[in-house]
Amino acid sequence: MPATSSPDRTPGDPLADLHDALLAWLPQQRWFPAKGRQVAGLRTVSHAVVSTPGETPTVEHAVIGVSFADAAQDPVGGSAEERYQLVLGVQASPPADVEYAVIGRRGEDVVYDGLADGRISRQFLALITENAVRGPLRFVAEPDTEAPIVGPGRPLIGEQSNSSVIYGERAIMKLFRRATAGLNPDLELHRALGRQGSGEVAPLLGAIEGEIDGEPMTVAMLQTYASNSADGWSMAQASVRDLLAEADLRPDEVGGDFAGEAHRIGKTVAAVHLELAAALGTHPLDARGAEEIEAWMLERLERAAAAVPGVAEQRDAIADVLRGVTTAGPSTVQRIHGDLHLGQELRTPTGWLVIDFEGEPSKSLADRVRPDSPMRDVAAMLRSFDYAAFHQLSEWEQSADDPDPQLERRAQEWADRNRSAFCDGYAEATGTDPRESPELLRAYELDKAVYEVLYETRNRPGWVSIPLRSMRRLLTPAGRGER
Amino acid sequence: MNEGVSASVTAAPSDEDHVRDVTEDHGASAVEEPSADDFRHARTLPVDDEWYKRAVFYEVLVRAFADSNRDGFGDLSGLTDKLDYLAWLGVDCIWLPPFYDSPLRDGGYDIRDYRKVLPEFGTVADFVELLDQAHARGIRVITDLVMNHTSDQHHWFQESRRDPDGPYGDFYVWSDDDTRYSDARIIFVDTESSNWTYDSVRGQFYWHRFFSHQPDLNFDNPAVCEAMIDALRFWLDLGIDGFRLDAVPYLYERDGTNGENLPETHAFLKRCRKVVDDEYPGRVLLAEANQWPADVVEYFGDPEVGGDECHMAFHFPLMPRIFMAVRRESRFPISEILAQTPAIPENAQWGIFLRNHDELTLEMVTDDERDYMYAEYAKDPRMKANIGIRRRLAPLLENDRNQLELFTALLLSLPGSPVLYYGDEIGMGDNIWLGDRDGVRSPMQWTPDRNAGFSTCDPGRLNLPIIMDPVYGYQAVNVEAQSNSTASLLHWNRRMIDIRKQHPAFGLGSFHELGGSNPSVLAYVREHVDVDGHRDVVLCVNNMSRFPQPVELDLIAWKDRVPTELTGGVPFPAIGELPYLLTLPGHGFYWFAIHEAEER
Repeated sequence: MPATSSPDRTPGDPLADLHDALLAWLPQQRWFPAKGRQVAGLRTVSHAVVSTPGETPTVEHAVIGVSFADAAQDPVGGSAEERYQLVLGVQASPPADVEYAVIGRRGEDVVYDGLADGRISRQFLALITENAVRGPLRFVAEPDTEAPIVGPGRPLIGEQSNSSVIYGERAIMKLFRRATAGLNPDLELHRALGRQGSGEVAPLLGAIEGEIDGEPMTVAMLQTYASNSADGWSMAQASVRDLLAEADLRPDEVGGDFAGEAHRIGKTVAAVHLELAAALGTHPLDARGAEEIEAWMLERLERAAAAVPGVAEQRDAIADVLRGVTTAGPSTVQRIHGDLHLGQELRTPTGWLVIDFEGEPSKSLADRVRPDSPMRDVAAMLRSFDYAAFHQLSEWEQSADDPDPQLERRAQEWADRNRSAFCDGYAEATGTDPRESPELLRAYELDKAVYEVLYETRNRPGWVSIPLRSMRRLLTPAGRGER
Repeated sequence: MNEGVSASVTAAPSDEDHVRDVTEDHGASAVEEPSADDFRHARTLPVDDEWYKRAVFYEVLVRAFADSNRDGFGDLSGLTDKLDYLAWLGVDCIWLPPFYDSPLRDGGYDIRDYRKVLPEFGTVADFVELLDQAHARGIRVITDLVMNHTSDQHHWFQESRRDPDGPYGDFYVWSDDDTRYSDARIIFVDTESSNWTYDSVRGQFYWHRFFSHQPDLNFDNPAVCEAMIDALRFWLDLGIDGFRLDAVPYLYERDGTNGENLPETHAFLKRCRKVVDDEYPGRVLLAEANQWPADVVEYFGDPEVGGDECHMAFHFPLMPRIFMAVRRESRFPISEILAQTPAIPENAQWGIFLRNHDELTLEMVTDDERDYMYAEYAKDPRMKANIGIRRRLAPLLENDRNQLELFTALLLSLPGSPVLYYGDEIGMGDNIWLGDRDGVRSPMQWTPDRNAGFSTCDPGRLNLPIIMDPVYGYQAVNVEAQSNSTASLLHWNRRMIDIRKQHPAFGLGSFHELGGSNPSVLAYVREHVDVDGHRDVVLCVNNMSRFPQPVELDLIAWKDRVPTELTGGVPFPAIGELPYLLTLPGHGFYWFAIHEAEER
């Protein structure tokens, strides 16, 4: 499909009549990340009819490009155009239960978000089990697995960056909203882990693949659904609340102690690392590779220093710690999760699952699939325990003039205890204690904290005190290593 | 036969006549066992194949419930006098721990005579009267039967040690040394150092899985099996509604095994079940097997035929995890154990409980979990006993009414038949200064009067002291006072039992956990379709946290239905397309009926 910038509409663009409707509809979608940004234009990148003639409703697949007026000023480096995938249902008078998903009208037809339509999600599931090809979309069942044949899917509500439908609590299909050329690491790693027989991820059942710019693109993936699960972040929050409600008990003395779970999470993450290494290999990190990582960290530091005075003041001290990546000595790299935090771990009745292997959203695909040290994931988890410990405090402090040093100390005790339990669990499973590489761990942790400071400054100013506090701690000698 | 163990045994007697013959030959005193025909039989209730699935059970310690003859000891007649109270409360079945003649060195689990009632408790005739009066009120009665062992004062053991060649010579497990079956664990680690004890009379060691004064019977001897089945028949003929089979995993011993859950044990239980099915339909067998659910389901027997061993079995690991979940403010300890619990045969049912006459047993938890339970619930070392915590429900929960209600709501709504422990319905306390497990076996507190209304004897004569502390003492906590206040825990318990009875889903229904995004909230649906196609759906939502919590539940399967809260009948907003939002107070819970659309 020829690509042309809106508002100049290309004759024959099947979505031409819908551009205005889409511009109004997009900012209401939770997965549309640039709510605060000024949209300059919208164009159709590709479009295809997926349904066979005569089928009702008509199903279309499209990729749209959204360009932004403020691209140059974006400190996190948002590009000028972001591309998003749409699955559209088209019918003259669609059923009432998709009314909330209507985007607009095209001639006689109503066009709506196809994932809201149970007929469409049921059809997609069936096509996956049949390994069907429809237009540019290839539906692929994962070998040696069996997708459950259940009825229509139901949209999952409350999701952030993608859109999913759930099939009778048995399976979940996730449509990747951001359209990127190449194999999506979420699909790639789930496939690799599944073939390792991993018990730490929800088994992959299939995928939908397409094309963009003449290259393959991952459209969607189908997985077993962990219906009875809660994420690690909410569980950690319950534990912190329990601690802070006590007058003077220590984290190991309160009923809601989380250390047992933190230990299990450590073992789970370690198992994922071992399985990824077994599936996709490890490489020794040579000096050049380490320098590349260091350069990347320093570049990110520069961007943060430019935007946040608190970072700029400490710029040199931070850079010293980040150089630990090159001075720490030889290490190995492998495929990792890349965007790990407590919210990416699900507690099920049988244990923990790691989810969402897409990698850090702000990075390019090439950066996301580049082998990196498992320490990056470990450091990210340690950061997440800090967040969990201090989040409650930051909620309270917004109304208080001064942080209560007693509460801060107790939150720190919670973080220390659970970070330590996580490392214990990790060491138990891999035989290598991450705390035995303090320079490396500290560099990765500080790198993450610097990124968080920038992110929070831009998105959630009320939370910025959390990474700032950690940043200061990581810059003092007492912050070295874990207790 | 148990080859090799009993070194000096001749041919084993195989039937009763033979027993008598051999007995006479040796001049030993074989007791003429009483027959059920010597007694009046109680009236029977109509046969109901599913009563145990719907029933609310209530465990009564006879000696601690009511004393009718002023000897300081509760007795069967005293219990008979209190049946109206139990009927008022809504109890469907009373479970009596052993009331047999016994030297009482293990709370009556050391039986001296299977066909005699402990004299302090009364007589067999008193028992028949209790049974008759209970049946008159629609209440069933089951009791413990200890098959694994007897008291060392049992006539069988006395004969066995005295005369190895006599009719009872092979009734127990004898050995020349104490080395066999070394893979079997020691259960009462506080008091026993070996499962073998030397008997100087016979000059051999005898096997005991529990106390050394409780020798294990030798089930490899067919005469032992016959004697045990005859003991079952004796009470079933009198009209008893079933047995809780105590310590059932340990009946047989085999080298190279831990001596638990052996195939021979299951084969014997199938034999007992057949006797019940053929001769006493509607009566039940309940297994006490403190094992993991995957092992316990074996005690239900063959699922192909709906179960052909025990009708019921206790779900031991669930109980400590309810306590753990609430302290951790996380549903996962409960979710985890229920996910590990296999499906059970169609005619089988779990028995679930919060507390009983034993310690809160921590055998079915990991070491870490046990440390955790001790730290949270047994802060004083005196609160521990064996591998567990010897405390009552109310003190375990620091007398927090909200938690007492939450725990009871869980007990009454999780899959299985609930077993209440006497006194917990009024929130009785315990006395950790009493030895062994007596701390949770103190007299029932009926009134604020002398001896808590349990007995009119001199207070010094009481079998165990009444609880007298300022919080749980009988002047503060007693049935009379709570009967007079409709806001009392007693009335609350009665209302909840009543609600449970109105909804067959609680006893008969399937169980489906809903999950939900809030890890502190445990939500599940119980659903039952009766033979007429009437569907009973109950939604239970429980907040494990002490803080108020919101939860969003996926109830799309019941779209457009209106959940009706069960204690008050208030209709809640109809279920729509979006997740159903509920807010719960700290340790709060809801029970909802989800009616069929057309019933609204």
